[in-house]
Amino acid sequence: MPQRENEVESMSSATADPRPRAVVSGGAVTVAGWRCRDCAHPMTHEVLRCPVCRGGTGAAAFSPQGEVFASTCLRIRVPGHEPPFAMAYLLLDDGPRVLVHTEGEQPLRVGSRAVITSITADGDLVAAGCEQEES
Amino acid sequence: MSAVVYGVGTTKFGRQPGRSGSSLGQEAILEALGDAGVDSVDAVYAGTVFGAPGTAQRALQDAGITAVPVLTFENACATSSTAFHEARHAVMSGRYERVLCLGIETMTSSFDGPITPEVTDSEGRAGLALPGVYALVASRYAYLHGLDTKALAQLAVKNRRHGSFNPRAQHGKEVTLEEVLASRMVADPLTLYQCCDISDAATAAVVGVPRGNDRDVRIAGSALRSGRLWDHRSTQPWGYELMGEVAAAAWEDAGIGPEEIDLFEVHDAFTIGELTATEALGLTAPGGGADLVLSGHTALGGRQPVNPSGGLLSRGHPLGATGLAQIAEAVWQLRGDAGGRQVEGARVAAVETMGGGTAGIDGNGCVVVVLGG
Repeated sequence: MPQRENEVESMSSATADPRPRAVVSGGAVTVAGWRCRDCAHPMTHEVLRCPVCRGGTGAAAFSPQGEVFASTCLRIRVPGHEPPFAMAYLLLDDGPRVLVHTEGEQPLRVGSRAVITSITADGDLVAAGCEQEES
Repeated sequence: MSAVVYGVGTTKFGRQPGRSGSSLGQEAILEALGDAGVDSVDAVYAGTVFGAPGTAQRALQDAGITAVPVLTFENACATSSTAFHEARHAVMSGRYERVLCLGIETMTSSFDGPITPEVTDSEGRAGLALPGVYALVASRYAYLHGLDTKALAQLAVKNRRHGSFNPRAQHGKEVTLEEVLASRMVADPLTLYQCCDISDAATAAVVGVPRGNDRDVRIAGSALRSGRLWDHRSTQPWGYELMGEVAAAAWEDAGIGPEEIDLFEVHDAFTIGELTATEALGLTAPGGGADLVLSGHTALGGRQPVNPSGGLLSRGHPLGATGLAQIAEAVWQLRGDAGGRQVEGARVAAVETMGGGTAGIDGNGCVVVVLGG
């Protein structure tokens, strides 16, 4: 998939894009989000106060690595997405849970490790599994 | 003050692109009013998800219901269940003596195929269509409990068999286990026959104060709430904890537990939805849903039939009309009017509708209603 070399926010529709933001720098991806200053609750989108403890929030950067929470492969028509495409919830280390696309048709194994490797030209996060495919 | 159901009405379910919301609505309204034996109501609590502004009023004026308060609700798949729950409370509080509940959805005029994900939602924008939402539920469930895909497919066989006795169902033909498993994959592990179809339909119910009519069906309890944050702290599949929380509230409200329920109509938009619902509602322990299907416990003739109507898998899923379709089935069952799909000796029924689609919470809204008893 094509990879953006700059921040997704530069997309013309970025202000209305509700998806998590990521930054690619020197080939490394960081997920840009927010965190509560009081309870450390991590979030992928900006809020006026922490939804958990009502504390103030500030910008935060999250690791692109995490554990697969659930996964599937969609094989139906979805506007802007060519089937089949695999997706997974990725539980970022010390961060929020994000929905990512994954390469190929085989959903990543739940409980396995994965890392966000790129962002598509359209702004979807793309992750790859960290383990060898088990036959 | 308590509230009862005076009457219910529905159109047939299916792809009816030639029919307007008003045409469908009138049919359901007039059947419900006739079934209730009334010709007027004090208010209308309507619901539609994709309908245009004024959808309810257009149908109501054509049915001769005017000059009353009309409120239109939207709560995703739980839209008309929400209207029903609120109508019940409006009657119980004494605000109205008689409320018409109405659900209208004309989906084939809105979508060529499956429902298009909502682009203002973070997960919808990423392409997560609803079959994907439930496929991820199945994935997480399988991780927690193990999941036999054949048992999941058997659930579709069960509901489609039930639906073969339902003359209003969109898909009234039985399917075999082999056909379910061989139908094309929609979102792993859910095959086509494990996914409900979009549908055009309208549904209605009249809720009112008790009037001493034997045909009226008591609303024993109901509960509604939206999901809590469903984020990195959550270990359960999407929607599971919300269903459990709402069910517990409904059981408490009704003073009736799940073991006393004779039949359930639950939200089987996808097979895994019924499986998790049966566990969340307390028919069995977590992880026991597949055994309920394989043992026949939840089939017609079993101890506690689930979705005797055929469920959404057979009936189709006109979003804003589905909740009242479930209520209508429960009413017909409790009156002994369900024909070939009648649950023998049905005295108490429970309805569960799960509305979803918003990323970050455990469901837009879930409603559980207990009827009869």
